[in-house]
Amino acid sequence: MTGNVRIEKTDFYLPEPVLTNRELGNIFTDWDSGKVESATGIKERHIAAEDETALDMAEKVGQKLLKDFDKSSIDFLILCTQSPEYYLPTGACILQDRLGLKINTGAFDFNLGCSGFVYGLALAKGLILSGTAQKILFITSDTMSKHVYKKDKGNRTVFGDAAAGVIISHSDEEGIGEFVFGTDGSGYKNLIVPNGGLRHRYAPKAPEREVPGTDSIRTDNHLYMNGPEIFNFTIDVVPGTVNDVLQKNRLFIDEIDYFVFHQANKFIINYLRKKMKIPENKFFIDLEQTGNTVSSSIPIGLKKLQDSGAVGKGSKVLICGFGVGYSWAATILKF
Amino acid sequence: MEKDRFIELLKETLEIDESIQLNENTVLTEIEEYDSLSTLGIIALIDEHFGKKLSGEDLQNITTVKSLMEMIGEDQFK
Repeated sequence: MTGNVRIEKTDFYLPEPVLTNRELGNIFTDWDSGKVESATGIKERHIAAEDETALDMAEKVGQKLLKDFDKSSIDFLILCTQSPEYYLPTGACILQDRLGLKINTGAFDFNLGCSGFVYGLALAKGLILSGTAQKILFITSDTMSKHVYKKDKGNRTVFGDAAAGVIISHSDEEGIGEFVFGTDGSGYKNLIVPNGGLRHRYAPKAPEREVPGTDSIRTDNHLYMNGPEIFNFTIDVVPGTVNDVLQKNRLFIDEIDYFVFHQANKFIINYLRKKMKIPENKFFIDLEQTGNTVSSSIPIGLKKLQDSGAVGKGSKVLICGFGVGYSWAATILKF
Repeated sequence: MEKDRFIELLKETLEIDESIQLNENTVLTEIEEYDSLSTLGIIALIDEHFGKKLSGEDLQNITTVKSLMEMIGEDQFK
């Protein structure tokens, strides 16, 4: 099929309960909220209720996107999550029914974190340009809070729950450019929930352990993040990935109107910005009300920039996701 | 890099109060301001000024300012 694809609609959903820095300061008494706020850029994060799952949130954002939209035109549904409802069946199958999408819809999940949004766009582009699908609903949704141990000060500070989604369709103009991907599985142990899969079953009596070099406490049933190693990894791969994706799209860095990186934390992405000499006014940083929302952080950024008018018709936006896996990916969107 | 310049940069990175003296024998991990965010700051400082990378394990083993300078490489300082 000739032509290209574009993002027709973008939206996000944040669960209602909010965990503020003040509340965290009451739980962890030696926690310096001023310092945390200036370094991470986070004031509060939304935390899903005990009975609200990532699939529930995916349904909410799906409903928002399909409001006043001909939902019979959707013929593919893709869900990116690392907070699955079940081992099986696939969350996207349940979601097809909950959203009332027609039966002749293709649906599947894929498991990626911070690089997931860019990957989903690549999958959608491939499905549409091969003539396999016409209009795709692609949703990212995660409840990282359910993976984090209650005494894990660091991760409770950084992560927030969110879902986001886009509708992608065929277009005459190029809306989604060329992609660059990267994978380095040698780093898989640095961002991991060790127990609960089939390699190491969930252990009801898993002992508490300290996260080295921090005063956070976790168990093997919960999320572990080696912050310094993850930062090293981003310094290693992100600048090169940005250069590669610019080259592949035959663009110079100053032709990009906006850069939306995965919102890991303010300190990390601002350091990457300075290292790449990207001007501050072209670089999206906003974790204030959400924290790090893994695969949803880039689409949330895109929606906020479109709503504020900072990104509009004709804008070129470079997006880059990186994290758990290690996995990373980048592309350039044209609005 | 001059040792004094490095210590100044380190003070800025760790957001240590002006009144506090920092020297080669100061035990970083005993400073009140030193926490997991400090480690990220040190990674950025070393990447920016020395083009070097310290592993997560190295960073966990930091004790004194001198130990950090040894990890960076004593030939980097005058």
